[in-house]
Amino acid sequence: MALSAFSFPTYVSKATNSGPHKSSPVTSHFFGAALFSHFSHKLDNHQIQLKKRPNGVCASLSERGEYHSQRPPTPLLDTINYPIHMKNLSIRELKQLADELRADVIFNVSKTGGHLGSSLGVIELTVALHYVFNAPKDRILWDVGHQTYPHKILTGRRDKMHTMRQTDGLSGFTKRSESEYDCFGTGHSSTSISAGLGMAVGRDLKGRKNNVVAVIGDGAMTAGQAYEAMNNAGYLDSDMIVILNDNKQVSLPTATLDGPIPPVGALSSALSRLQSNRPLRELREVAKGVTKQIGGPMHELAAKVDEYARGMISGSGSTLFEELGLYYIGPVDGHNVDDLVAILDEVKNTKTTGPVLIHVVTEKGRGYPYAEKAADKYHGVAKFDPATGKQFKSSARTQSYTTYFAEALIAEAEVDKDVVAIHAAMGGGTGLNLFLRRFPTRCFDVGIAEQHAVTFAAGLACEGLKPFCAIYSSFMQRAYDQVVHDVDLQKLPVRFAMDRAGLVGADGPTHCGSFDVTFMACLPNMVVMAPSDEAELFHMVATAAAIDDRPSCFRYPRGNGIGVELPPGNKGIPLEVGKGRILIEGERVALLGYGTAVQSCLAASALLESHGLRLTVADARFCKPLDHALIRSLAKSHEVLITVEEGSIGGFGSHVVQFLALDGLLDGTVKWRPLVLPDRYIDHGSPADQLAQAGLTPSHIAATVFNILGQTREALEIMSFKS
Amino acid sequence: MRCSSYGLIIPGSESRFLTTTTTPTTNKKPDRFPRIYPTSVSFGSLKVKAKLNDAAGGTATATAVVDESKELSFYDLLGIPESVSLVEIKQAYKQMARKYHPDVSPPDRVEEYTQRFIRVQEAYETLSDPGLRALYDRDLSMGLHLAFSARRRQQNDVDFQVRSEWRNRWQSQLSELKRRSMNKDAGGNISWAARMRRKRDGLSQEL
Repeated sequence: MALSAFSFPTYVSKATNSGPHKSSPVTSHFFGAALFSHFSHKLDNHQIQLKKRPNGVCASLSERGEYHSQRPPTPLLDTINYPIHMKNLSIRELKQLADELRADVIFNVSKTGGHLGSSLGVIELTVALHYVFNAPKDRILWDVGHQTYPHKILTGRRDKMHTMRQTDGLSGFTKRSESEYDCFGTGHSSTSISAGLGMAVGRDLKGRKNNVVAVIGDGAMTAGQAYEAMNNAGYLDSDMIVILNDNKQVSLPTATLDGPIPPVGALSSALSRLQSNRPLRELREVAKGVTKQIGGPMHELAAKVDEYARGMISGSGSTLFEELGLYYIGPVDGHNVDDLVAILDEVKNTKTTGPVLIHVVTEKGRGYPYAEKAADKYHGVAKFDPATGKQFKSSARTQSYTTYFAEALIAEAEVDKDVVAIHAAMGGGTGLNLFLRRFPTRCFDVGIAEQHAVTFAAGLACEGLKPFCAIYSSFMQRAYDQVVHDVDLQKLPVRFAMDRAGLVGADGPTHCGSFDVTFMACLPNMVVMAPSDEAELFHMVATAAAIDDRPSCFRYPRGNGIGVELPPGNKGIPLEVGKGRILIEGERVALLGYGTAVQSCLAASALLESHGLRLTVADARFCKPLDHALIRSLAKSHEVLITVEEGSIGGFGSHVVQFLALDGLLDGTVKWRPLVLPDRYIDHGSPADQLAQAGLTPSHIAATVFNILGQTREALEIMSFKS
Repeated sequence: MRCSSYGLIIPGSESRFLTTTTTPTTNKKPDRFPRIYPTSVSFGSLKVKAKLNDAAGGTATATAVVDESKELSFYDLLGIPESVSLVEIKQAYKQMARKYHPDVSPPDRVEEYTQRFIRVQEAYETLSDPGLRALYDRDLSMGLHLAFSARRRQQNDVDFQVRSEWRNRWQSQLSELKRRSMNKDAGGNISWAARMRRKRDGLSQEL
């Protein structure tokens, strides 16, 4: 058996993971009976019956369906540190490696939470890619990047997998600064073909000879950028491989509340037809028979007939790719390592291919029965117990802002039948699955196509409907031109509900919504507002529904509400546009907060109470139009005015100071200071850590107040006091 | 006599080939199961006939009662019309499950009710998954009524066939790719990358 044929150095884990069998180094020479008995002794307390197979330890836990809380044994994976260590393995060992990798991914994600289903679907593909290609010289790009957990394990980051998505730990997506094996940073979808083409052309210009492979999912294919890239790739004809990972899951999370969701869009049915081409195959067989009969001297004609037949049987889907200039190969079983390695090897060894598209069919969540059965295929999970699949969801007193938004929108739609909702493949993330269940014909999922979603909403507004576009703050960046040109310029009443505004925690800077205040408030016709708590959110949804002559937007963060009383029947009352409110009356110093930063301001003022300072805390509510009267009164009656927001420079604070300057208020005695997100990207981590890094915690705000008042000693005290 | 029913549900018969279903003697819906003779498996049905006759002869009486209710389609089992949404299917399933669960069934009819319960569960499993439901609807419209487990076995066989078709297809696509790559850098190809490749190869040849 080939297991005893290892000749490369062994990997000894320096991880802090517990697990008795990790304490002794595993060397390759011990494979066979000795190791087997060693293992079985160690693992007795884990109640595993190791099958007595003659070739040594059986590690394919996924076959037996046993999952346990201790790290599963992975003898082969333990010897792989980098892809180069895989090069000597046989196909049989690659399959075992895939099984072990799967068990390892399940174990790691169960401890940290993260994206499980997608990673499980590409285990075999990852193994095949790293076996055939020579990363990092060969560039392998992963679209979105949330399926790269197995890739990270195989490329030298296995010992850090327990820090996934935590402060100072591994990023949940690919990141160039993290490893040279991550060629391109991803997080937003549909960018891999474009980047891959850029790398291929760069390689051609520099005269190098490496391969470029871009892996993209069928969900990401619904975005226009993928077609822009394929179109250009076909035209330039540069050698590259695009792997279309088709698992029929086009929207995220891949289910409504009531069950699995059929894929969105016409492309999915085309891809399905590609996969099930039975009747046409018979035609091909006939064509083959005809060409055989024609015989020798007519082989040219036969080849033409063959190509014609092939074109006919390929189905309209592959013709699409062929028309764009990519050579289509597939469909291929994405869980069969044999097939994948054979195909990739062939394509790699063909001297000049131009752009090639390999259509790989996988199953999301494959190999973990609980994921396979779940409606959302365990796309994104919290920590869970591998043996039962149950997630450890912490129970909170309040619900998330997302849920509150959905409930508010439902309440508005109950009374006004013109209210409709649009989202871009984020039914779960935006809470609009709840809206879909209540109003199935008034909720539109356009696939991963934010640009189209905005202009689509503009079209709906033209016809007198009231569209609510629920798009994450950072994904709105994609649709900015549509917001400016199609909505704001024409003053169409489209309402934008921007979830995940501000810092977002574990997802990191790719999903961070820092810029939406800046880019929305600079538009001439836009009404820009932000709720400071969930009750305000209900009122702002009502306000947005009421604003019918111009576009409006509101932003709310990731996380749960603070626990204020909700309006009765979930129906908010429209606020007066351009009016803020004062929460605490004080003197000398005024804190003017925007959005949920107001809560930090309140906490800061509580901190300062004990030092004898009574601050004024105000909630601006609107960034555009500003509450001029409120700002004037604050500036005229206080020594210090501090504006606080969880956004970048150029947002709320800038608008306030613009007004102060134009109104002559800066010519007097008031001191104005802004508190904004710093001029750098904040890495992923826990929300508390991120806020501390950004300098927007209540302690920071209090320290800023002290510093301005000249009480620097107290400022230091507050900052060093760790509560 | 039951021997004449060629339903594929008779236990013990492992049938790869689709054959007909005939109208049962207790005829509920006569137009539901027209006689369809698949064209390509004529010899196969002989094999199946032999198997079925053996099986039917031995176990006819025991399965008579069971066969009765097996003739119902999944929709009939759940008591719903064909065009229902997932929510209604769920509701119907819950109702049926509550009625036929072994724990709450009357003691003298536990056997029958348990069988029914299992069948109801099968029905729900198929109908709640849109993909499986689509396949089931298609088969139903063609007049074939298969039990879930038989379909699963059959599905695996079908899957295997499909996979080997795929393999044939991509193998031929790969050979086509190789053939095309011969002409890729011929003088006639004026794409940007072809020009770059010619330049690169020209340079390396000079070296």
